[in-house]
Order: sequence, then structure tokens, then C-alpha cells
Amino acid sequence: MTVPLLTVRGVDYAYPGGVMALRNLNLTVEKGQKLAILGPNGSGKTTLLLHLNGAFQPTCGEIRLEDRPAGYDRRSLTDWRRRVGLVLQEPDDQLFAATVGQDVSFGPLNLGLTAVETRERVGEALAALRIDHLADRATHTLSFGQKKRVAMAGVLAMRPEILALDEPTAGLDSHGVAHLLDALQRLHEAGTTLVFSTHDVELAYAWADQAAIFQDGTVLRQGETTAVLADRDLLQQARLRPPLLLELAQLLPGPLLRSREAVLAQLQERLQG
Amino acid sequence: MQAIDHHAWTNRWRNRHPVEKLLPALTLLALTLALPPLTIGPLVLAATLLATVRGAGIPLKTVLSVLAAPAAFLLAGAPFLAISVRFHDGFSVQFSPDGLRLAVDTMVRALAATSCLTALILTTPLTDLVPLLRRVGVPTGIVELILLIYRLIFVFAERALTGRQAQAARLGYSSVPRGIRSAGWLAGALFQRALERAQRLELGLTARGYAGELRVLPSECALSWSRLALSMTLVGLIGLTSSLLARGLA
Ligand SMILES: Nc1ncnc2c1ncn2[C@@H]1O[C@H](COP(=O)(O)OP(=O)(O)OP(=O)(O)O)[C@@H](O)[C@H]1O
Ligand SMILES: [Mg+2]
Repeated sequence: MTVPLLTVRGVDYAYPGGVMALRNLNLTVEKGQKLAILGPNGSGKTTLLLHLNGAFQPTCGEIRLEDRPAGYDRRSLTDWRRRVGLVLQEPDDQLFAATVGQDVSFGPLNLGLTAVETRERVGEALAALRIDHLADRATHTLSFGQKKRVAMAGVLAMRPEILALDEPTAGLDSHGVAHLLDALQRLHEAGTTLVFSTHDVELAYAWADQAAIFQDGTVLRQGETTAVLADRDLLQQARLRPPLLLELAQLLPGPLLRSREAVLAQLQERLQG
Repeated sequence: MQAIDHHAWTNRWRNRHPVEKLLPALTLLALTLALPPLTIGPLVLAATLLATVRGAGIPLKTVLSVLAAPAAFLLAGAPFLAISVRFHDGFSVQFSPDGLRLAVDTMVRALAATSCLTALILTTPLTDLVPLLRRVGVPTGIVELILLIYRLIFVFAERALTGRQAQAARLGYSSVPRGIRSAGWLAGALFQRALERAQRLELGLTARGYAGELRVLPSECALSWSRLALSMTLVGLIGLTSSLLARGLA
């Protein structure tokens, strides 16, 4: 068996002040996977993501990058952050520069790239998210959805192997979500491993290969999305509702369907037949 | 503020190098302060209006509305310069010709000077001007701080507005004392928010490899020496014309 890209092993984390946000948490991220982290509010999703790129250091337990424990000295952290990119939920927490192009250039310059290479990376990241036209816009005049894309471009410009996203679809309209998923799908096809937190079970069902169910700072179960989401007791324990699409698909005979169109077509056929 | 910022980011001269705008504006300002106001003032006003409206394509209405506030101040204040109050033989208020001259001079000079700065801020975003400070020796840390504050002003202005609306929706401003109390709470909450935001911004930037310096690519517009030379020549001509006129009038 191959070694996972990232392994979280027995991690505890207490915020200063004493709130235990993570308890004995275990999680693995395999190369090329789309992993959804599902859990209710306050279950520790954001806290975990902040561990995945070394922003937080566990009180107890360890995080391994491939076969080695991750280090927290300056050099290891730089390398770690180049490999694991993190996009926060609130774009204003990640944007600081006056124009979009300048903001996106921040990460590559921190990696020590030259101005020429950086300019190329900026163009590539903006193109990947289809926001080239925003390059010279003032950051503070963007809409929320545009800011989210710019924040993501800022991380993509560092060409991470793993892209971790905190609630990437929160606050986007359905068009914005579709646009985002398209962009993520292209990245995934280009070889980027994706980890995202959400409380949208429908999104996880439609889109993730694997799901990890969170509750009170620990992973109750990690596994193949359909199997995990079909486990009703588990979902109830984590205060999540099973996805409607899954429930409908379960009514149909044959293997479980995952796409909305396929399920609807089958249902229509049965209702008419 | 929002309107000025909007035009600064979208006008026709947005992509010109900031020095091309800063240098002529400051030179005009210096001329306005140095030469007799009655001749230089109208020339400067005309030149700056032409530059912002014709050149940068900013609507005349906007320029006038930005100028209106200082102009109103001047109109209200200047007449007092034309009046002299005497205390010999009792108390008398007199209108003095010298005072009138002084009042007109002051008004024209102040208005022309304001128009130079208005032309500059309407055509150049603050964030283009601030990096120039680094060139004249202001420490990097301070320059970064100014730029961060500029960005955060907009984040907090939005928060303050929504916070106020939320309070108003719950009748927080239905009487004066209640309004004062609500505003106090809002300020407190914003302060708290500011601290949290600073912490999270640090996390967000850390995720992007922040290591103590906020380095970004410089903006790409190159300084056009020929354009700068042309505009400085025009500025020089304005100065020359006004001194000749002043001599002719004297
Ligand atoms: N800065 C902080 N200081 C103290 N406690 C915190 C802090 N941030 C989060 N917590 C606590 O840690 C726990 C996990 O929070 P976290 O933000 O990771 O949850 P989450 O799953 O991301 O929730 P949500 O879905 O609401 O974003 C919560 O109990 C929360 O109250
Ligand atoms: Mg969260």
C-alpha cells in the first residue's frame, strides 16, 4: 500500500483559554483524492484545516507528510506551505493588497520566485479560475464571490499538491457554486488533491470520493462517500441529515446513482412507466 | 470618500505612472502658493479642471461636488477678512478695501490649491502614491502599515454600516440617549472585531508563506518621460503666463 500524502494521527488541540477543539483525531489524505470533511457548526473543521498546513501545532499527536513527521521550524514550514495550500472561509482574512494581481503575487514571491516567474504564476492562477479580467481591479471593490475566487487564486499561485478549502461554497449562489466546482474539477484532473470542509451533505455526496464525519472534534468515520453517507446512525450522531439525492437513489433498484440528472431521469421513467 | 476612491481606480489615467500625476500637481500647488493669486489662481483652476474632466474623463459634476465642500467653507469664512472691527471711539465695524482684496486673494488661492489636490486624488489611488514614500526613505514597515490600514478601512466601513443597520432595525437609535449608547456598543464591537480580524489575517497570510514582509509585484505602468516632460512644460507655461500677466496688471 502506498503511503498517504498526509496523515493526522491522534491529534488533540486546545485553544488558549482551554476549549478542547480536537480530540484524538485521525485522518488520512491520499494522493489524488477529493475528501469532504463533514460536520456541524463548532465540530472542529476549521481548526483541523489550520493544522493541515502547520498554522496550528497540535497539543498532542502528530501530522505526517508522506513518511515523515512534519516539522515546525521555519524551513519545514515553508516547504509544508508550498505543498499544502489553505483557503480560508472568509476571503477578507486572506486578501490584503490593493489590486487583485498584486495580491495573487504575494505567495509566489514568498516562495522566492523571481518577478518573471511570479508574473507567470499570477496569470496562470487567474486563468485557472477564469478571473483574468479582474487582474487590475481594486480588491475592495470586488463582490463576495469574486473575492473568494481571488483568495483561492492567491493560494493556487503557489501550486500546492494538496488544496485545503474551508467551506468553499458558503455564501455563493448556485451559479457561483457551479463555477467553483468546475474550477476544482479542472485542478483535480491536473493532479491536485482536494480537501474541503462543508456542512452541505448534498455537495459531499455529489462530489467527494471520500468523506470524514466530524463530531465534537473527532472523526467518527472516514471512508468512501456513499458508504459513509448511507450510515444513518452515524449521520444522526453527527446531527447531519442524509442527502436527499442519496435517499432518492436508494429507492431505485440497481447500483447507487450519484448524479442528480441520472436519479431524476430514472425517477421520471418509473413515474411515467 | 467612496466616490473619490471609485474614480481614482477607474479613470482614464489610472494606469499612468503616479509620478506623472504627482509631480505636475505638486508643482502647480507650489506655483499657486508663490505667485499673485488673482492671475495664477484662475489659470490653475482652469488647468486642473481641464485635466480631470477632459484628460482623465472624470465627470464635471463629480469634480465640482468634491470641490464644493471646501469652497463652501471658504465662502463662509472669507467675507470676515474684508471686515475690520475698530475699538477707537467706541465700537465700529468697517468694510475696508484692503480687507476685500485680502479676502478675494485668500479665496482664490485656497480654491486653486484645493483643485490641485483634488485633481491628484481623483486620478490616483492612494495605494499608488504610498509606495513612493518608500523611495524617499520612509521605512518599509510604515508603508506596509498604511497600505494595510487602507484595505481594512473598507472592510470595517462595511461592518460598521451593517452593524448600524442591524441596531437601527432593533430600534437602537429611536431616541438620542439610546442612540449614543448603541453607537458606543458598536464602536466596542468593532474594536473587538478588529483584533480578531488581525489575528485571522495573520493566519491567512501565514498560509501563503508570510514571513514578516508584505512583498507584492510592483504595478506595471512605466514612467513615460515624454508625457512627464510635456505636462511639466505646460505647468511651466502656466507659471510664466501668470507672472507676465501680473507684471502687466501692476
Ligand atoms: N479562536 C478561538 N478561541 C477559542 N475557541 C475557539 C476558537 N476558534 C474556535 N474555537 C472553538 O473550537 C471549536 C471548534 O471550532 P471550529 O471553528 O474549528 O469549528 P467548525 O467545525 O469550523 O465550525 P463552523 O462550521 O461553525 O465553521 C468550537 O467549540 C469553537 O467554539
Ligand atoms: Mg469553520
